[in-house]
Amino acid sequence: MKRIAGLNAPARSDMAVLKPFDVAAHSPDGYIFTRWVAALPWWTPFAVFMTMAIWPSIAYAQSNYSTAQAFDALWRWTPFLLKSGFFFNVLISVLAMTIGTVLGAALGLAQISLLRPVRAGSWFVTQLFRNSPWLVLLFIVLLAFPFEIRLFGGVIRIPDWIKGVIGLSLPVMANISEVVRGAVQSVPTAQWEAAESLAFSRRQILWQIILPQCYKRMLPPWMNWYAILTMATPLCSLLGIEELITLSRQAMESEDNHPELLVPFFGFALVLFFAYCYPIARLTMRLERKFAVKS
Amino acid sequence: MIKAINSMLSGVALAAVAATSVSAECTNDTWNKVMERGKVVIGVKADYKPWGYRDSDGNLVGMEIDMANDVAAKMGVDVELVPVQSSNRMQFLEQGKIDMMIATMSDRADRREIVGIPGPNYYTSGTNVMAPKALGFSKWEDLTGKKVCGKQGAFYNQIVEERYGVEIVAFTGNAEAKQALRDKKCVAWVYDDSSIGSDLSSGNWDDFEMPLSSEDDNPWGLAVPLAEKSCVFGQFMSGLQYNWHREGTLIALEAKWGIKPTAYLAKENARYSDWLAE
Repeated sequence: MKRIAGLNAPARSDMAVLKPFDVAAHSPDGYIFTRWVAALPWWTPFAVFMTMAIWPSIAYAQSNYSTAQAFDALWRWTPFLLKSGFFFNVLISVLAMTIGTVLGAALGLAQISLLRPVRAGSWFVTQLFRNSPWLVLLFIVLLAFPFEIRLFGGVIRIPDWIKGVIGLSLPVMANISEVVRGAVQSVPTAQWEAAESLAFSRRQILWQIILPQCYKRMLPPWMNWYAILTMATPLCSLLGIEELITLSRQAMESEDNHPELLVPFFGFALVLFFAYCYPIARLTMRLERKFAVKS
Repeated sequence: MIKAINSMLSGVALAAVAATSVSAECTNDTWNKVMERGKVVIGVKADYKPWGYRDSDGNLVGMEIDMANDVAAKMGVDVELVPVQSSNRMQFLEQGKIDMMIATMSDRADRREIVGIPGPNYYTSGTNVMAPKALGFSKWEDLTGKKVCGKQGAFYNQIVEERYGVEIVAFTGNAEAKQALRDKKCVAWVYDDSSIGSDLSSGNWDDFEMPLSSEDDNPWGLAVPLAEKSCVFGQFMSGLQYNWHREGTLIALEAKWGIKPTAYLAKENARYSDWLAE
């Protein structure tokens, strides 16, 4: 193989070469959080949990209530916290992601519409929900939506967690909209032109040529947003929706609110979320590397 | 969406009309609805031991849950318990999401304008603080200018703040607030005297005391929709509470749930006692 200095052989000179500053390489990307999570070794949550288990026995030697009793309480509550708590976090995240993806895909395609009003309208909706605090959106949905709907004489009750799903699907929708728009626009325009010259209609180009190339590119950011969404579901506890954090608080109340309970219970929540999101983060980064556009 | 807003607005308008003509006519909407579907939806606490909390299977239990079950039994309908928080309980009742609530609510004048609170009150509690013995507080004025931990949504936070110039640091949960007290982020923890009393007697707070005299002894009230306060629902709840006092039901429940016997319940029991009973 030919040896090229500075590439596969040592540079011949150590003179500094000023290359143009690459902005993209130095600004945080959309994966910054997932990248960080994926970089953690798998034993991190266990190490954290063990530290938390040992540390309080030194820190709070002021009470008869021992750390062992606190962990015993956690053990008793674990089935309930998983069944009625974390299950709902997962359910809320899955449903919000589903709704957000469907609406977001439509909104993203509307953003590349040829009709100016459609483009402008979908851009506005995207920016509005992308740049609003998630908690504010949740509050609005929770307070503005009725708790029951009358349809054909019957009454359909809307439980609070469904409102949580709707509230969380709005920001997801806006962000997926940007993912879709970005992915479509990342396909070289030459492909559009080539397809047009072969007499494909715009719809055919989009569905048969452009979008099939986009799915791979969209998958990593889509999973990235899913991990972020899952970790945002405890926001629902601020609104009284029953999920892991809400029920952890209620469990601690039932165990007489000993401060020693705080670390085991919230530590348990931490471990659960980590155990759920960590594989997603690892897989996302692997897919990201696999599908990265070679430059 | 517009339809929903319209119906919400008309709902508000209806509620306003109903509020001004409470005594004029009783539609008994909620009562009739409960009877029609054979189920009463009662808002209770899930985070206020021993009044309303969860056992480790997730079931709601507590003194107020027993009371709620008794309400349903006396009405002859099924019961559905909905956990409420201090911050949303009155809104839930106004919206009609719950038919009534028994949720450790203090009976305050401003709350009576929003929900119907039928007398007589079923319990009462005062405000006190838990503070380290080492600080040696003896009167409320000792707290002036100091940081005091509190629970978000408690009505007395503001009162204590205004009256004694303390700085309230409010937490969402009691465990967090009590941890802050131990971490010396505040000099005292202001809360219900009955709850502090049971904490102190648990033996886990030996270095702490309840040094002040309780203030703002405030009766608790259950609530029905405002429009039905003077109608069937409100009258029924008044009668039921009267009998709870008279028959000593509340005193028995107090003992069952390990609440320190209060002078209030004993006094009410004596006041309503049957003059023919031996």
